[in-house]
Amino acid sequence: MARAAKAAKAAPKRDLVANASYGEIGRTTSDILTPEGVVLPFINATFGERIGALLIDMLIIVFVPIIVFIIWIALPIHVDFDKTHKALSSFVEILLLFFMFFIRSGYFIFFEMGPKAATPGKRLMKLRVISHDGGRLTPAAIFTRNALREVELYLPVTLIGVFLAGEKSGSAALAALWALALLLLPLFNKQHARLGDFLAGTRVVHMPKAALSYDLADLDGDRGLGISFTTEQLAYGEMELSVLEQVLRERKPAVMKAVADKIKTRIGWVEPQNPEDVPNDENFLRAYYGALRAHLESRMLLGRRRKDKHDGAV
Amino acid sequence: MVDRPGPSDAPRPALRLKSQKFREARQGEWRALSGQLDKAERQGLGSFSVDELLNLPVLYRSTMSSLSMAQSISLDRNMITYLQALCVRAYVYIYGPQTRLKDVLSGFFIHAWPNAVRKLAREMLLTFLVLIVGGVAGWLLCAFDSNWYNVLMPPDQAQGRDLGASVESLRKSMGGAEGHALSPFAVFLMTHNVRVAIMTFAMGAIFGLPTFAITLYTGITAGAMIWLFASKGLGYEFVAWLTIHGTTEFFALIIAAACGFHIARRLMFPGDATRRTALAEAGLLSGTAMIGVAIMLTVAGCLEGIGRQTITDSLWRILIGLVMLTVWSCYFLGVGRKAPADAFTGLAPATGEGG
Repeated sequence: MARAAKAAKAAPKRDLVANASYGEIGRTTSDILTPEGVVLPFINATFGERIGALLIDMLIIVFVPIIVFIIWIALPIHVDFDKTHKALSSFVEILLLFFMFFIRSGYFIFFEMGPKAATPGKRLMKLRVISHDGGRLTPAAIFTRNALREVELYLPVTLIGVFLAGEKSGSAALAALWALALLLLPLFNKQHARLGDFLAGTRVVHMPKAALSYDLADLDGDRGLGISFTTEQLAYGEMELSVLEQVLRERKPAVMKAVADKIKTRIGWVEPQNPEDVPNDENFLRAYYGALRAHLESRMLLGRRRKDKHDGAV
Repeated sequence: MVDRPGPSDAPRPALRLKSQKFREARQGEWRALSGQLDKAERQGLGSFSVDELLNLPVLYRSTMSSLSMAQSISLDRNMITYLQALCVRAYVYIYGPQTRLKDVLSGFFIHAWPNAVRKLAREMLLTFLVLIVGGVAGWLLCAFDSNWYNVLMPPDQAQGRDLGASVESLRKSMGGAEGHALSPFAVFLMTHNVRVAIMTFAMGAIFGLPTFAITLYTGITAGAMIWLFASKGLGYEFVAWLTIHGTTEFFALIIAAACGFHIARRLMFPGDATRRTALAEAGLLSGTAMIGVAIMLTVAGCLEGIGRQTITDSLWRILIGLVMLTVWSCYFLGVGRKAPADAFTGLAPATGEGG
């Protein structure tokens, strides 16, 4: 059977989903033990994501009152409104006061107490608030973490503003420095938690929607290709396997060629004599992936795992 | 899904990894759970039939066990990360804030709030002393040299209650309102007070120093104003005017400052717990008390907006103020003592600490 035809036939099957990356390499997680005894890794939100969510929320907080004000100005009734409808006007005034109060002090609390435990900004950045021990997120915790914004955000920003505006005395510089440190506290811990998070026992985590892609290992197909490897040639660990998986799912020809060349050099691969039998880079990598995974998984069942290529062979 | 036709047409047993067989056997359940979660997030649990509702925990548990198993037999990274994401989603949904509003409210009012306030007893005593010291200091400073009044209450903040004000204008500033009962000004004062309370609490994170300063300053201004009115012979009326909402408002501010001192104390001296747990505990406790503070300030705002404007007799004002003080004290001292560990904060109830 012609190999090219077979590859073409198999290709559409394999090209199901390309967006299969989740839990990207290099992101840290907070592990939480569930009541069922399973360790769940929650991906910590990065500092950038948190800043992004905050900026979106701040834009809403600043611009919504402005828009409401513009609408109020644009309405024709406000001329002499407070004289002609005295009761109504003071009622409207009270409503406005409550609204401003809500926007300034209640916005974060209101949205984080909702079922999604996230403000609109956080929702856009796919973040949510959880309790650090995996327990229930209580209203008290949400109140605390947002009350602390006063010292972590509003006060530092004011202090730094005062400093930049020209108050260059030593104490102002000191206050601004301290404020900056408080503002940047999330940069200095692994979970990127701010002071309010520590006090409330909450963390902000990233919750992407992951898709279940197809299984890359295809031992039957690989057997058809006639590629096989000796145990010595399967000289990599789990880390390399997951990188290889990512490469195969992204299917970038240049990357696949570079990786295939590298593996071939390392394992001392001898290409078949017959040029017809020389597998292309993708087929070679997939065969290697299947063989390596079968090898590592069979050892794994016996409790022997190999973290990466620097680990001793299993 | 991974079948490729073999070289010969003869049927051969498919070559499968254990992890692949595992996945094929279970992925239907995962997809079902994912679909149910989508539905629950979009339409809420109300749209579920009884069978679906009963099936949800089953799906959740079997998916959790799939994850646990997958982590020990499979190296398919995509599958594991998918399962992790799915389980995380299911977990926060299943264990999320699903309590009924009624339970949340009763948990808060019957157990959590009074218990939290009782646990803050020592800090509240400290705050109360600071407030009294501030008040006495404010009075004494002004009595010693009346120019201090202008320093403590700058004329632009005094709203006409300055040294030069006549007895009549001072009396008028305490009188009934000329406008509506619930005047916007009272609402403004209330929202302002809530913000000051939140600020007083949050500033506790800076080792309690700003909280201390704010409390002391509040006491000093109160003392100075009482001196001013007393020096014009209006002391009794002023105290009555202050009492009707002041007992509630000062009580709330004392609790807020006590919350600030509490987090400062647990931050600096975590005791036997690690600093992280101490902070989390302190945050939950003070968060509960602070929600209560917001409620108290709302009550104070209503008293200020309605009660003070319509009730102009000094005796009634003092009486209402004292009744409110008694009500709050009884509530904080008496309610929820025998409660089990409550659902609102997860904290155990206080053990006999008096307020």
